[in-house]
Amino acid sequence: MRPNLLDVENVNKIFTRGGLVSRRVNHAVNDVSFSLAADKPEVFTIIGESGSGKTTLAGMILNSVAPTTGRILFQGRDLREIRSRGARLDFMSHVQAIFQNPFDAFNPLKRVDRYLFSAAQRFTECRTPKASAERADEALHKVGLSLAEVQGRYPHEMSGGQLQRVAIARALVSNPSLIVADEPVSMIDASLRMTVINLFKKLRDELGVSIIYITHDLATAYYISDRLIIMQKGRVVEGGDARTVLAAPQHPYSIKLRQAVLSVDDAWRDDRVGAGVPAVAT
Amino acid sequence: MNTLRILRDLLRYNGEFAIGLVLVLIVAAIALCSFFSPYPPMDVYVVPPDIPPSWEHPLGTTSRGQDVFWQLTFAIRNTLLFGIVVAFLSRIISLAVGLISGYKGGWVDRILMSINDTFVVVPLFPILVLFYFIMRDEMTWAMLAIITALLGWAYDARLIRSIAMSLRTREFTRQAVFSGMSTGKIVLQEHLPFVLPIVFSTTMNNINWSIGIEVTLSVLGFTDINTPTIGGMIYWANQHTALVSGIWWWVTFPVLLVIMLFIGLFLLAISMNEYIDPRSRLSRLGGQA
Amino acid sequence: MIAELRAIPSPDELNAPQTSPLLTVDRLKAYYKVKLFGVDREVRAVDDISLAINRNEIYGLAGESSSGKSSLIKTIAGAIRPPLRVVEGSVRFAFKDGERDIYRLSPQELSAIRWSRLSYIMQGSMSVLNPVRRIRHAFEDFALPHVSAKGADFTRLVERHLKRLHLDPAVLQAYPHELSGGMRQRVTIALATVCNPEFIIADEPTTALDVIVQKGVLSMIREIQQEFGSSVLFVTHDMAVHANLTDRLGIMYAGRLVEEGRTRDVFKKPLHPYTAHLISSLPRIGDEAPKKALEGSPPSLADPPPGCRFHPRCPFAIEICRREAPPMVEILPGHRTACHVAQADPARVRTVA
Ligand SMILES: Nc1ncnc2c1ncn2[C@@H]1O[C@H](COP(=O)(O)OP(=O)(O)OP(=O)(O)O)[C@@H](O)[C@H]1O
Ligand SMILES: Nc1ncnc2c1ncn2[C@@H]1O[C@H](COP(=O)(O)OP(=O)(O)OP(=O)(O)O)[C@@H](O)[C@H]1O
Ligand code: SF4
Ligand SMILES: [Mg+2]
Ligand SMILES: [Mg+2]
Repeated sequence: MRPNLLDVENVNKIFTRGGLVSRRVNHAVNDVSFSLAADKPEVFTIIGESGSGKTTLAGMILNSVAPTTGRILFQGRDLREIRSRGARLDFMSHVQAIFQNPFDAFNPLKRVDRYLFSAAQRFTECRTPKASAERADEALHKVGLSLAEVQGRYPHEMSGGQLQRVAIARALVSNPSLIVADEPVSMIDASLRMTVINLFKKLRDELGVSIIYITHDLATAYYISDRLIIMQKGRVVEGGDARTVLAAPQHPYSIKLRQAVLSVDDAWRDDRVGAGVPAVAT
Repeated sequence: MNTLRILRDLLRYNGEFAIGLVLVLIVAAIALCSFFSPYPPMDVYVVPPDIPPSWEHPLGTTSRGQDVFWQLTFAIRNTLLFGIVVAFLSRIISLAVGLISGYKGGWVDRILMSINDTFVVVPLFPILVLFYFIMRDEMTWAMLAIITALLGWAYDARLIRSIAMSLRTREFTRQAVFSGMSTGKIVLQEHLPFVLPIVFSTTMNNINWSIGIEVTLSVLGFTDINTPTIGGMIYWANQHTALVSGIWWWVTFPVLLVIMLFIGLFLLAISMNEYIDPRSRLSRLGGQA
Repeated sequence: MIAELRAIPSPDELNAPQTSPLLTVDRLKAYYKVKLFGVDREVRAVDDISLAINRNEIYGLAGESSSGKSSLIKTIAGAIRPPLRVVEGSVRFAFKDGERDIYRLSPQELSAIRWSRLSYIMQGSMSVLNPVRRIRHAFEDFALPHVSAKGADFTRLVERHLKRLHLDPAVLQAYPHELSGGMRQRVTIALATVCNPEFIIADEPTTALDVIVQKGVLSMIREIQQEFGSSVLFVTHDMAVHANLTDRLGIMYAGRLVEEGRTRDVFKKPLHPYTAHLISSLPRIGDEAPKKALEGSPPSLADPPPGCRFHPRCPFAIEICRREAPPMVEILPGHRTACHVAQADPARVRTVA
């Protein structure tokens, strides 16, 4: 039997701050487990509170943060065994990342295209600059950009949305089998959001890429996720089939989250005059 | 082009920078004069000794029969070169240690920083004197430069490390990692540009510091006194009890020149510090971050 | 409980003749002029935009990524830095103590009205808080120069303001990293509003917050607006936020304002094909129908297509669209759009979308 694409087994991450005298412990990720099957590419969504450990969990899956306890297997291989530079490059060509803040995603002193070329040279068979440029252009076209628009530009000359699309294109250069996307659409417009989300769908359905999608946008989560987990204070409070969970959440926090979702349809329902300003959520 | 614009702005808006630059340029010009010296630097009794400043010998001559002005051109050249070589070598060490330690973190950081801290606390002067007594004749100018450089990088390495540590947490560093860039490439191409301005300013301070060391050691005779340096000149003047015998020009001019250099470099360093101030720098980068 | 963030205006209010608007932007053009490989490039980020924002109103701005929303906002706030340059047009504020033309002000006058009359919550502003200084210092740094209260009076003023916004004054003693993202964002908003500004500009203040926190921040903005009678210019990509918060909504595409009207009208009866697409593409919980993204790519602002900038992607495009840029005209009461087809038949776009 083929091993799973990804196994997260009872993973914990504890941050300690301060020295010996005043030690503060922050249990950022608390006993999280899930698996992604190898033969069934899916969009696996993580939603939850701000600061509930989603980014930390993503860091552990990307092998850039070491779990305090528990283990993570990628294609049956413990991430802790991936040490040498060659092994790491190989791992990264299979597992790629998209980050949260497009304004900080590229070095402000450097041109953005260098990351695309570097990825093309390190992760693919492209050896000549021309081949890398073609590869980069191809990836940029998947996100509605072209190399001509991007080449030679510095990050501060591009909008947040453009930067984020370049970042996604950069991750796509190596044709990875798993992409970890940490709030990839929070900074781009509704229509482009659908471009990216549909792109994720296409990656999953046509290229067999699995995607771990971290977001605060429950509507897009509903739209593309196959499965989903909801996190609060480091714990998974609820998980399962995305549509079932979002349609009828069970845990009190999930219910609260579901109710706080603003929706276009509710905005003018019955013109509820006098509903006024709600009490501020604390 | 960009650097030129920065230079122009600095000159126009920053008085300290302008004064500092003028002072350093004067000193450098004097050092350059050495190439046109009519007398070889090591030769003695080439001119009549003990002549006060005059038309023929604008800064007078020494008791050893050397022209003070031309001797000074060699001395300041060697001293300046010493400062620059030491600063250059020690910058390389502090950049390497600071950037790698800050980027790698973990045990690499712990080891490098404990070495670093050792160098911060070792008493520098006794060590140098000790080396002199051990090596004696082998203590050439180049040897001294290397030893001083080895002792002079630690403080700035810590500064560079703290910047590298904050750069490591930025998302663009992770972007670079996930683009398959190697540690060397990330450190050299992604992070180095951020610390370069600071390196420039610490360079000035480091030149000053190493010249101070060299002058002090030479004055006391703990160096190779045959290479003409500012300290060496003062050493010989003392040997001939120049001040007592009224040959003040032998001591005064080297001292004035080295003070000029100190002040010039110091002004350059502080004006650059002002420029490097992260707040104004950020606005120059046009970033919102 | 699904809370209603918007205060529903009474019919009188809607019909009452408006006094002069607080903000009038007139034919504003602001371009980025960049040099690249020796070639000058002009990015027309704000191209001929006119709009007015009334007192006591929340005006929403949505649109394409990189359509120039942040650039428009920067020019309105007078926060223009090269390479951005205002080429033409004016931005006038009618503050209580007199009218101001933003580009006629000296830098001193500009910084005097910043914070006290006009406050600007920048995109990504959560990170403006200095990580090594307590929140209290941030208030002192930014707001102290703009209020008459000093010392203990100032502290009391700040504490009262925080309480009014349902924030615990204890946050003053905290360092930024000790606060959650949502708290930090609320603190920045408190910071921006401590001088009771008449005009608040917020560029994506709720991006990257969870929905519960987001709702808190939005209610806070609504409350500030009602309590002080300020006007708010609010930019976000989250259309649901616009639907629930803003009174009027402007849609931007490729450097131009393409539609503007009461939020409800824009959502229910979009006139511009881009808006119609934007609204129909919104995913909803419970709705499994596949949503289509727009075909084609957004136009380059350095070399925008001639005529209507949307025509290469527009399903309604007709001959004239390729040649002539449609003017912004009022088609229905209080509802403007720039589209040839909508001008000819306002119902056309809606029925198809
Ligand atoms: N390097 C670190 N050192 C110490 N604490 C950390 C570190 N990284 C994260 N934390 C803490 O761990 C917790 C989880 O943070 P994380 O960034 O994973 O949350 P998140 O779910 O991604 O939040 P958001 O929705 O705001 O992005 C937070 O309390 C954070 O302060
Ligand atoms: N400093 C700059 N130099 C050159 N071009 C710039 C600069 N800043 C922005 N631009 C360009 O101006 C256009 C508008 O950018 P702006 O940031 O205003 O968009 P936006 O609507 O706020 O987008 P987003 O929703 O992604 O934040 C973009 O095409 C961008 O590339
Ligand atoms: S003017 Fe023409 S191309 Fe432009 S939006 Fe209207 S119909 Fe489409
Ligand atoms: Mg996060
Ligand atoms: Mg913007």
